[in-house]
Amino acid sequence: MTEADDVENLLRERLANPFLVLDVAPSASVAEIERQGQRLLAELAAGLDGARRYATPSGARARTPEMVRSAIAELRDPARRLAHEWWARGMAAAGAAAAT
Amino acid sequence: MGSGIHVGIDLGTSNSAIALFDGESVSVVANAAGETLTPSVVRIDGRGGRTVGRRAHRALDGDPANTRAEWKRLMGTAERLPFAAAGAALLPEELSAEVVASLLADVRDAAGFTPRAAVISTPALFELPQNHATARAGKLAGLEEVVLIQEPIASAIAAGWRADQQGTWLIYDLGGGTLDVSLLETDDGRLRVVDHAGDNFLGGKDIDGALVEWAAGALARSGAVDPRVDRATARGRGLLARLRAACEQAKIELSRAERASIVMPDPTGDGIEGELEITRGDLEALTEPFIARSLAAVRVLLAKNQRTADDVARVVLVGGPTLMPGLRARVGEMFGGRIAAGIDPMTIVARGAALYAGSVGLDATPAARATAPAAGLPVRIEHPSVTADMEPFVVGRCLPGAGQTVPDRVRIERVGDDGGWAGADSPLSPEGSFVLQVRLERSRRNKFVVRAFDRAGAEVPLATSAFAIVHGVSIGDPPLARAIGIARADDTTRVYFPKGTPLPARRTFAHHTVRPIAARSDDDALAVPIVQGESMRAHRNRLIGMLHLRGVDRDLPAGSRIEVTLEIDRSGQLATRADVPGTGQTFQDVAFVLVPTASVETAERELVATNRRAAEVQRRTFQLGIPAAVQSIADVSAVLADADRALPAARAGDADAAQKLHRLLMDANNALDDAEALLEWPDLDAEARRCKLTYTPMVAQWGTPAEQQLYEQELEAAGAARTRNDAADLELHLDAMRALGRAAYVRDPRSMADAIDWAAAHVTEAMDVAAAASLLDRARALQAQSPAADVAGGGLRALRAIVAEIWELFPSSPELQAKSFDSGIR
Repeated sequence: MTEADDVENLLRERLANPFLVLDVAPSASVAEIERQGQRLLAELAAGLDGARRYATPSGARARTPEMVRSAIAELRDPARRLAHEWWARGMAAAGAAAAT
Repeated sequence: MGSGIHVGIDLGTSNSAIALFDGESVSVVANAAGETLTPSVVRIDGRGGRTVGRRAHRALDGDPANTRAEWKRLMGTAERLPFAAAGAALLPEELSAEVVASLLADVRDAAGFTPRAAVISTPALFELPQNHATARAGKLAGLEEVVLIQEPIASAIAAGWRADQQGTWLIYDLGGGTLDVSLLETDDGRLRVVDHAGDNFLGGKDIDGALVEWAAGALARSGAVDPRVDRATARGRGLLARLRAACEQAKIELSRAERASIVMPDPTGDGIEGELEITRGDLEALTEPFIARSLAAVRVLLAKNQRTADDVARVVLVGGPTLMPGLRARVGEMFGGRIAAGIDPMTIVARGAALYAGSVGLDATPAARATAPAAGLPVRIEHPSVTADMEPFVVGRCLPGAGQTVPDRVRIERVGDDGGWAGADSPLSPEGSFVLQVRLERSRRNKFVVRAFDRAGAEVPLATSAFAIVHGVSIGDPPLARAIGIARADDTTRVYFPKGTPLPARRTFAHHTVRPIAARSDDDALAVPIVQGESMRAHRNRLIGMLHLRGVDRDLPAGSRIEVTLEIDRSGQLATRADVPGTGQTFQDVAFVLVPTASVETAERELVATNRRAAEVQRRTFQLGIPAAVQSIADVSAVLADADRALPAARAGDADAAQKLHRLLMDANNALDDAEALLEWPDLDAEARRCKLTYTPMVAQWGTPAEQQLYEQELEAAGAARTRNDAADLELHLDAMRALGRAAYVRDPRSMADAIDWAAAHVTEAMDVAAAASLLDRARALQAQSPAADVAGGGLRALRAIVAEIWELFPSSPELQAKSFDSGIR
């Protein structure tokens, strides 16, 4: 179904939120983000199973090195980071609501 | 990074350079003539003998039919440049390959090895096909691996490398033909490019041109010779060429002395045809208007980023013209003298490229390929090559072979003159891996060794145990200069990579075919156009590649699902793949579209078309009376007037004028895009209101909780985009709202009846009327059997499946599809 694929495309975009991909809080410092990003890149390169998926409010999704690099770069830009923080907080609220 | 050597190449329009980085310091390699700059000039003689660099440069005036320079602007085009005596014609990337090969040979002579990999710099304005051609030049020259980096970023890296001070930097890069200004920040050892700006029509050539005009006038007034006459003749051109060379020489002398002579030799070179004196003051007066223009561009960049000159900690000057004392003084005045010292403006780009090669671990030495497996337990060790983090993570994984066991624990030790450092012993995970933090020494290359032990404490030999991490400035991956996406049949763009996406990048999205494809037919091909640009209207972006789905194993009906993956590597090479889950087939042959050749004929045709487009946009602008659009149109008029003025010189064979014309047309069309977007704002705003009214109740009633939450956020983001008048962002969120709204709507049982009624009324427009009529009969029969009350039953699911089939039989608008590069997907 086209409609279902459109929603899936949208989820692929929104659930690739850098904070979710890196598994860091929206309040994380620049240094924490960079360190976590480098750690995940190294884990993915070494083929560690735990690094290959990440948690989202709609279930676990695949994590790739490209997504991690993109997440680090997005959060280096203060303006883009603000937008991602807004989405991440909204999704965290959605996740909490779904859990109750 | 290991113990490798990293190579960076500045493949310039006028000159090229190559630099090496060994993990500690960067050095620029001199060519056989002992110069660090190699002119980007190639000569091919009658016997096919090839000369590159200074010797070829000397033949430029004397043997122009067999000598080529300044082809960089043609990279990515199919224009072959002829060499008359050899009867050869080379593509621009083939000429660039000659220069790269020459630079690599210089490294072989100086360092004893021929590099197998290198980073090559490209202008920030280059598009994907031009980058692709540059990477190909490297491969043709013998490089196995090529990574590209934008020139301003390379300069920034070289300037910011191991910068102790935090803060904002400004890179002022005045090249032969363009000015690039970049603002960057070093924050806690992390380098970030904040923004770029520039002037595409301001460079050292403008200054040279003004100097030549001044000298020609002075010589004419003195009665010696008038080089301004007969420019169309060979004699006139010869006169001017000699005057230009004399002025260039005088300009260089004025960098060191207060006065110099412009000495113009006669055609034989034995006598003097004219001579005059010039002071540094004369030159500064001539250059002042150009410097003022460049500083205006700097002010615009600072203002756009809410900064003042006082906020800039250091200014880095790049490019030959910045060697002029007058220019350095004027830039220094603006920034309180905070000009970075000790940076060679001519080789900084090559140095930055080499440093970047180090940061991505691109080892140029042949040993990098190496090979013989070492004794001991194989371990894969992963770590950053260069980092600002004093305590980065190191990850390892044991890969035991037959008869080998995983050790009990590991320890990482730093070896060095300071007595080193040793981390705590750490047990391995059940999968034989470890994740440990190490401690670095500041601003140094830190060497480590991994040691492993068994349960009894005996050391287990490892096949790989040593590695190095450099503490320095962390550099992000190179950002994509312009967005890349797929043009859909409804003339919208599915953005895969927004502008600024770090490379390498890869993304996959689901699409659907808009018409059937016949099995095993090479003639029946479905187009998947790949576009580059920021517009959500596909046709406003530039087509850069085309993937064709043809020769499918079995008939593929309209509406078939395809998963399209786009992947771009660090060298800007684009790979595209389409998977058809229905057949299990994969398509991946991308036809690359060449950038339009900057030929005068092409530009002339484009000028006519752009003038026509401008008139239409102007008519609509005044009809609707939108002030911002009126302002955009005013700018376009000025740009097109400039283009009109550049046309005669371009027609007369002036390559610079032709290039300027091409760039002006690009600018005019970009401004027209902006104006059109402004004109469409009222419609878009109305569409935003309509979407909200239509989809909000649908999602509230039929959406899943996750969809409802996502919809709320999209709605809020759309509202924010409306407040900011941000059309591009608003379109993205409306697209998302539509997707969520439609997904909810199809769950409403009444939507099936609506869809069937609509299809019945339009059945004659279906691509296959008989099939549509048959499906409609089936749908009506099912409706009769399963009344609307059977919402939860299988009847509705079956009805949905039939409606989906009917839906796919209706084509998208042929007009929109044609505009959208004949895209066959949505």
